[in-house]
Amino acid sequence: MVVLEALDALGRETARNARSIAGVFFVLLASGCASLFPQTAVLRGGLPPELPQTVELRSVPFFPQKEYQCGPAALATVLAAKGVKVTADELVPQVYLPARKGSLQVEMLAATRRHGMVSYLLAPNFEDMLREVAAGNPVVVLQNRGVFSTWHYAVVVGYDYDSATLILRSGEEEREEMRFWSHEFLWARGGYWAMVAVPPERLPATAEEGRYLASVAALERAGGAKAATVAYQTFRKRWPDNVNAAIGLANAHHTLGELTAAEAVLREAEKRDPHSVVVLNNLAQTLSDQGKDAEALPVIERAVGLGGPYANAVLDTRRSILEKLKKN
Amino acid sequence: MSNWIKVICRLLIALMIWTPYQIATAGVIGTDQVVASTAQADRDSVVSFLTRSDVQRQMQSMGIDPKTAQDRVGAMSDQEVRSLAGRINSLPAGAMNDAWTAVVIVVLIGAAVWWFWRR
Repeated sequence: MVVLEALDALGRETARNARSIAGVFFVLLASGCASLFPQTAVLRGGLPPELPQTVELRSVPFFPQKEYQCGPAALATVLAAKGVKVTADELVPQVYLPARKGSLQVEMLAATRRHGMVSYLLAPNFEDMLREVAAGNPVVVLQNRGVFSTWHYAVVVGYDYDSATLILRSGEEEREEMRFWSHEFLWARGGYWAMVAVPPERLPATAEEGRYLASVAALERAGGAKAATVAYQTFRKRWPDNVNAAIGLANAHHTLGELTAAEAVLREAEKRDPHSVVVLNNLAQTLSDQGKDAEALPVIERAVGLGGPYANAVLDTRRSILEKLKKN
Repeated sequence: MSNWIKVICRLLIALMIWTPYQIATAGVIGTDQVVASTAQADRDSVVSFLTRSDVQRQMQSMGIDPKTAQDRVGAMSDQEVRSLAGRINSLPAGAMNDAWTAVVIVVLIGAAVWWFWRR
């Protein structure tokens, strides 16, 4: 009897110890995991209420990759999803680098512009990625899948929050399922790199003002002035007070030879911000290009008076206006 | 000494190529410069022009023909070109060649089996 009681006490003691040891292990494991997959851990705390529990963009096409060419395949996937008529093979000469047997991140962004689309680099954030997918924008992600550095582009086309699963178009798999944490593990090794391609008449769901304007300016610079005018207009509907967007829009008009449109945009911008040297300089130049040099002169004089980092360009503009006035 | 000559030559070449472009867009200050909002707009555009031709040359040495390399660099923003300069060889290049990982794993398992078998 006594022996039994002693044994019983011993058993209870061991059980308590075991439980506390297990508890310690659990805490260690949980905190260890949380630091390995910090964003998944945050996301498991709850999905933002405006995001649906399950999304799958079933209409996104699939381009199975050949050899090392996951870059062209992933890019073709997101471009074709937005209605661009392009195949993975056609993108090979635009993004694939033979000596590296792969495609650089910068070129994925750049090649998108050559098809009249705005490429936007997402913030390194799991939730932003889900937001874009929920808004109908498939997301290109860079993962590191190998024992060594084996970089891979895949396209996230859906997720299921309850089972914490992502759905991807990846390599030769049309519908790959991957758990949130395992994606984060591979994705974090690529610096959480993710991009979307959007047509100029739309904004990405997670667009930030400054960074998105730079994306549109990059499209303008890359020779997509026509698409850029639309993208600037879309931008200005959301952020109407941004003077740089007005400058960009006017520049795109100017490139296309639409000088009256450029003038109208700059005049409106000049009312908003009468002290912008760039607005005054570009307005004066646009007037001069239309042969209205007498009208341009007082505008450029105001810009000269303001000085600043563009002083040299402003003085050049004034010189050319004065020369034209002398000739006439 | 020869370094200086090199630098001057490159600058002259750049300026020669750049001049017609300058005239074509005379007067209007580009959006790239405004968005980048740097204090030395003029100097920056010369520097990024040189960087562009550098990156272009590097791409050519990696198996891209000159015209294609020009088009590809032309689609990049100044900031992107700068991020590539001198790093094309080391930056991640998405490729996915799972075969090597598989080979490594098969070899490791094979070696382990062989080792245990021998004992």
